[in-house]
Amino acid sequence: MRSRIRGLAPTPILAGFLLTGAALAVLPLVLELSIYTHNLMTLTFLSVAGALAWNWMGGFLGQVSFGHAATFGVGGFVAARIVLWAPVPAPLAWLVGGLVAGVFALGAHPALRLRGPYFSIATIGLGEATRLLFTYWEDFTGGSSGLSLPIETALKHRLYWWGLGLVVLVTAASWLIRRSGLGLQLLAIKADVDAAADLGVSATFYQDLMIALSGAVVGVTGGMWASYFSFIEPNDMFGFDRSIGFVLMAVIGGVGTVLGPLLGAVVFVLLRQYLLASYPQLYLGVYGLLLIFIILFEPLGLTGLLRRLWQRLSALRGKV
Amino acid sequence: MPLLATRALTKTFGGLRAVDALDLHLEEGEILGVIGPNGAGKTTLFSLIAGSIPPTAGAVLLDGVSMLGRPAFKMVRAGVVRTHQIVKPFPNLSVVENVVVGALHAGGRATGSVRDRAVEVLAFVGLEDRTHAFPGTLTLAGRKRLELARALATAPRVLMLDEVIAGLNPAEAQALATLIRRIRDERQVSVIMIEHVMPAVMSLSDRVVVLDRGRKIAEGTPAEVVNDSVVVDAYLGENHEGGTA
Repeated sequence: MRSRIRGLAPTPILAGFLLTGAALAVLPLVLELSIYTHNLMTLTFLSVAGALAWNWMGGFLGQVSFGHAATFGVGGFVAARIVLWAPVPAPLAWLVGGLVAGVFALGAHPALRLRGPYFSIATIGLGEATRLLFTYWEDFTGGSSGLSLPIETALKHRLYWWGLGLVVLVTAASWLIRRSGLGLQLLAIKADVDAAADLGVSATFYQDLMIALSGAVVGVTGGMWASYFSFIEPNDMFGFDRSIGFVLMAVIGGVGTVLGPLLGAVVFVLLRQYLLASYPQLYLGVYGLLLIFIILFEPLGLTGLLRRLWQRLSALRGKV
Repeated sequence: MPLLATRALTKTFGGLRAVDALDLHLEEGEILGVIGPNGAGKTTLFSLIAGSIPPTAGAVLLDGVSMLGRPAFKMVRAGVVRTHQIVKPFPNLSVVENVVVGALHAGGRATGSVRDRAVEVLAFVGLEDRTHAFPGTLTLAGRKRLELARALATAPRVLMLDEVIAGLNPAEAQALATLIRRIRDERQVSVIMIEHVMPAVMSLSDRVVVLDRGRKIAEGTPAEVVNDSVVVDAYLGENHEGGTA
């Protein structure tokens, strides 16, 4: 019996996902993208990958982190330092940055003693402590004046595909995690740590594993970000609103679902771009309202809305 | 050598000795009943054996080997699993997924795919037609069966049942008692059960241990225990009619 554990991969969604991916991959070759669009899309890819990785911890495991900017920044600065220090290919620098960020994220291990909102509050502290630490560590991060990297136009152009590739990889990973025994154990830990332990689940091991993996992926996106913008600065890289951004992307899209954070990140980045350009003073207020509405009316965010819509449509079709 | 034993197992909470220098043993293939008034330390005893809480003193031995310092998840892998009096299904997982979580940790004692074993256990406890339902839709009897199924999926050698029968109507209770006997007879699992429903304990148990204030006050076959005046005193107080006072 090899049936699915739960209907998670209906063929239309998989086909849609692959088609979208392929279309995005050839898009810059077919159409002449403006620099603005190219920028925006690359930025979106990095955010999508980050949101999906955040969701491994915040969604699957129920360990809601408000400190993921710490791993983003560590990944970014380590990658930047490697690029400045030795003539290594940028992807290698991103990878090392990601690994260092993953290990760094394990620093949150003691906070695992706390549960629910208490854990989240602790991650705020850890994130802010990391930001201050790296802001004052001027030898490494350049302090408030930041670090400049050599501008590489060709690399910047290619980063579109690197970003897209990372999105495909992280989405596939999310899918596999959710469908596997690993995913079930994460959801069991989320529901009840003690009951999970009573069935043989090593909660601490999986929590550490997901903290490290999630941190590593976000760290890689930090490195890519550094390469893309050629200038990074601790207060931005480690900024608290960046941490909030990960939470918002997942919440808008649907916490704990496989594809929700992907949708959420796309909406989040586009909305932010629009709001910052048109109504900069309303920008945070709009997110606040959005959060309130989601939590009140559709805790699963866009995914929940889509599911409802789908059910309505199916019901309608049944009637005809 | 007994399959499972405790040696002077003790747990104190502040000044309270919840479990007090307790020596217990469970033989292979045995159903051991643990009874005692409320607050006697029965559930604390289970938590100690399961590794959920560390003992203040003493040890738990499995096959004569001390299990000291093993947390709950390692005890499960070693073959000792417990159920809870207040059932704790994972509400976000379907019935079969709940069981799969347990089946993932059989520690090499079971053969076949995790999924197949989960399905087999569900059929064994009689939940096969609820495979894809969510725990919130089950009746209390159904949730108790699910709790049993999850524990059985870990292919335990020792199964600790904390009041699985309590709270059920007589027909359900009878069905569950039959199930517990089948667990021992067909799956060769040794069972320790805490139960307040006396007819069930008395008919199922090969041997009964009576706890009171953390101590073992009597031990023997069900018939011996019910006629033990110390036991009657513990339950009814010393000055009851026909007592030993």
